[in-house]
Amino acid sequence: MEIIEKIKTNKSIDNLTEIQKICLNKLQSSPLPNPKSEQWRLSNKSKFSNFLNYSVNEKDPIFDIPFPKTSQSTIRLVIGDNCQTNFIEENFSIKQISEDKLVKYIKEQISYFDQNENWSDLLNLSLNCTKNILGLKINGSEIPPIEIFSHASSNSLNAKTLVIFLEKNCDIDLLQVNLGKDNSSLSQSTFLCLEENSSINHGVVSYGENKSNLLNSLNVIQQNNSEYNLGSLHFKFNYARFEIRIKQSKGNAKTNIKGMQITKKDEQISTFTKIDFHGPNGFLDQINKSLADDKSHAIFEGSIIVPKIAQKTDASQLSRNLLLSNLAQIDTKPQLEIIADDVKCKHGATISQLNEEELFYMRTRGITLTEASKLQLSSYFQEIISFIPVSQDRWDLLDKLLNEN
Amino acid sequence: MVNENLVKDVVKEPYKYGFVTDIETEKIAKGLNEDIVRLISQKKEEPKFLLDFRLKAFKKWQKMKEPDWAALGYKKIDYQDIIYYSAPKQKEKISSLDEVDPKLLETFDKLGIPLTEQKKLTNVAVDAVFDSVSIATTFREELAEHGVIFCSISEAVKNHSDLIEKYLGTVVPASDNYFAALNSAVFSDGSFVYIPKGVTCPMDLSSYFRINSGDSGQFERTLIIAEESSSVSYLEGCTAPMFDTNTLHAAVVELIALDDASIKYSTVQNWYAGDEEGIGGIFNFVTKRGKCLGKRSKISWSQVETGSAITWKYPSCLLLGEESVGEFYSVALTNNLQQADTGTKMIHIGPKTKSTIVSKGISAGKSINSYRGLVKMGTKATGSRNYSQCDSMLIGDQASANTFPYIKSQQPNSEIEHEASTCRISEDQLFYLQSRGIEFEEAVSMMVSGFCRDVFNQLPMEFAAEADKLLALKLEGSVG
Repeated sequence: MEIIEKIKTNKSIDNLTEIQKICLNKLQSSPLPNPKSEQWRLSNKSKFSNFLNYSVNEKDPIFDIPFPKTSQSTIRLVIGDNCQTNFIEENFSIKQISEDKLVKYIKEQISYFDQNENWSDLLNLSLNCTKNILGLKINGSEIPPIEIFSHASSNSLNAKTLVIFLEKNCDIDLLQVNLGKDNSSLSQSTFLCLEENSSINHGVVSYGENKSNLLNSLNVIQQNNSEYNLGSLHFKFNYARFEIRIKQSKGNAKTNIKGMQITKKDEQISTFTKIDFHGPNGFLDQINKSLADDKSHAIFEGSIIVPKIAQKTDASQLSRNLLLSNLAQIDTKPQLEIIADDVKCKHGATISQLNEEELFYMRTRGITLTEASKLQLSSYFQEIISFIPVSQDRWDLLDKLLNEN
Repeated sequence: MVNENLVKDVVKEPYKYGFVTDIETEKIAKGLNEDIVRLISQKKEEPKFLLDFRLKAFKKWQKMKEPDWAALGYKKIDYQDIIYYSAPKQKEKISSLDEVDPKLLETFDKLGIPLTEQKKLTNVAVDAVFDSVSIATTFREELAEHGVIFCSISEAVKNHSDLIEKYLGTVVPASDNYFAALNSAVFSDGSFVYIPKGVTCPMDLSSYFRINSGDSGQFERTLIIAEESSSVSYLEGCTAPMFDTNTLHAAVVELIALDDASIKYSTVQNWYAGDEEGIGGIFNFVTKRGKCLGKRSKISWSQVETGSAITWKYPSCLLLGEESVGEFYSVALTNNLQQADTGTKMIHIGPKTKSTIVSKGISAGKSINSYRGLVKMGTKATGSRNYSQCDSMLIGDQASANTFPYIKSQQPNSEIEHEASTCRISEDQLFYLQSRGIEFEEAVSMMVSGFCRDVFNQLPMEFAAEADKLLALKLEGSVG
């Protein structure tokens, strides 16, 4: 693995940023995550090493997407060279975070990192030069929806980082799109900090191509009375990991998550979530759906941590899975770790195939089996897709999914 | 706050089985090596195949590492500081119960175990295991009339060595895990049950395990074989004296059910749990597994876990036979500094297999109570179903309740459902019951018992009553 070799020897190279140096230092002692640890146990080893096989591309790939063009009503940003932040700074209350502040914040985050759990972030930050880190400070509530793109180029590994501070009383819709290319790897790390009374509708859509790989990690810190709504969709990646870590730092915050991953062929897509309640009166409603077809493998692991301080927490987590083929497999592990006693916590998990009775009913009404399956799938998808902001009017995600299934 | 201290007081009942029987015992030297394994085998006059089995297991154990994935923290066990064989001294061969040391009989009497056959009314046959050896088995003749074999495993090795050779280690192989390998190398005694074809065992069978010495570990092994169309209900109870050292208990239980056979295995585990500061108590590392080999066979585990400082136990079912059924009903109560990591594994291999898991965890004091379970649907398990339900009850804000369900499916034509919830004894409920003239402690006990009802309903009658009482006693003083 070329990258790991590079990490091991990179110390001698000059002009590394301070953050790169810190992360490389951390990685040098154990450059790879422990394959026996809970977070990496099920990860397909050959696919993972394939992810690391591409060399790092610091040049900016050509931005060419299958999705709609910019419109007047949304702000579009592409992480990398072409990022036109000047224009936004002039027109909206969005500021780019100064490099000093960005470095200070990221350094603070790194100090909390766990080598295994945050391995994806460490890798991302150690590969990333400054131009691929976008830091924004957003203020006010009259802000149009924002679309932020991260994209990879064929035969290389691209690393992109996004840091967003949402100031007090701010309210935004944000859609993040990760685009994979043929034979490519994309490492995307996102850090969101929601200040008091702020609220964000966050969508994450990761759309790959043939043999594209993705390591996507999302770190969210929520202050008092903030509301975080996340709708996510991952599909068409040969290998993808989506790691979500949310910390309600003082409690009294609301988190809603609706996520979905769709695997076909011999793909492996996994979602790991860790929700940490660090104060009382926290709320969580989470649903994660997986659909596995052909020879693919879908994984979900979600943990909810409720320490003593987090009294009156109300958390629920549901993992719903559809297994559509004899050769596909699904692993799911929703878990609760609770110490506070005055809490309402529950989780559930189901694995099944399409409901036969419902299919039969539709067929007796003259709907063909293919159409009936499509109808069922569309209702299965719709719950998640309708939760992804911005996409609804402009992006026909549902059609895309249905046509491919 | 409603009577916080009062509820805490409800859980503080002293351990009443903590006495030591002063009896002369025969012990071998501390430590574990190949010679000790040979010595144990020699003392038990075992055939060669069993010695080989032990030596092979010992070699494997030496290469293995103690597992550390469970949510348990305990001081390192020094395996060389344990006596691996300890037996009460008595005449070489006992022809009837009258020849058993009266002190031993007295011990079991104190524990409420009907060893003397005057207590026939209870209609339960008992095999009593004291430290490393089985001292008595009751009702043998009556059982023999039906062709049922119920004896200690050492006797079975002598009298039914063909069955032992055929089945021992087929469900839990010696290399299965660290503690199973240790047990396979040094197991001293345990029970053996064989139910012939078409026989419904005329009475409940029961084993009672008692650890008496503080420095010897207990490593018993149980093997139950139910032939075609037979059925049996087996009960298991455990107690130990109070010592301020930790005693190791590493048992292996293997169940085999052939076509249409059914085995019901119930446990009330009440090993000494250590004191309030967490000093002493049994380290309980148990491997229990059943193999539903035959078509329509059924294995049902029910357990009430209240004792032990550390519990590491996952009674599981391998569902191989078509339409076989696995069940797991569990109540695990932890208090003070107890730690329990317990659950089950349901491995669906054959088609149309079904499993049900109902687990209730109650954590009080500063204890840690985790449910860890695996449900796996193999590629051939078409039309299989699983339903799991894990509920936790938290008493006080220092105890922790964890749920770790691992679910894996490779068969689209199967269904898995899992749900888990957490609750506590609410002030409203307590207030309501108290306003109806029910005393506080009784109210707590009622609510705990209601919480556990789904499991208690599965226990044999007398066990259910005992379990209910046991929980009430254990919880005395801890709700708040």
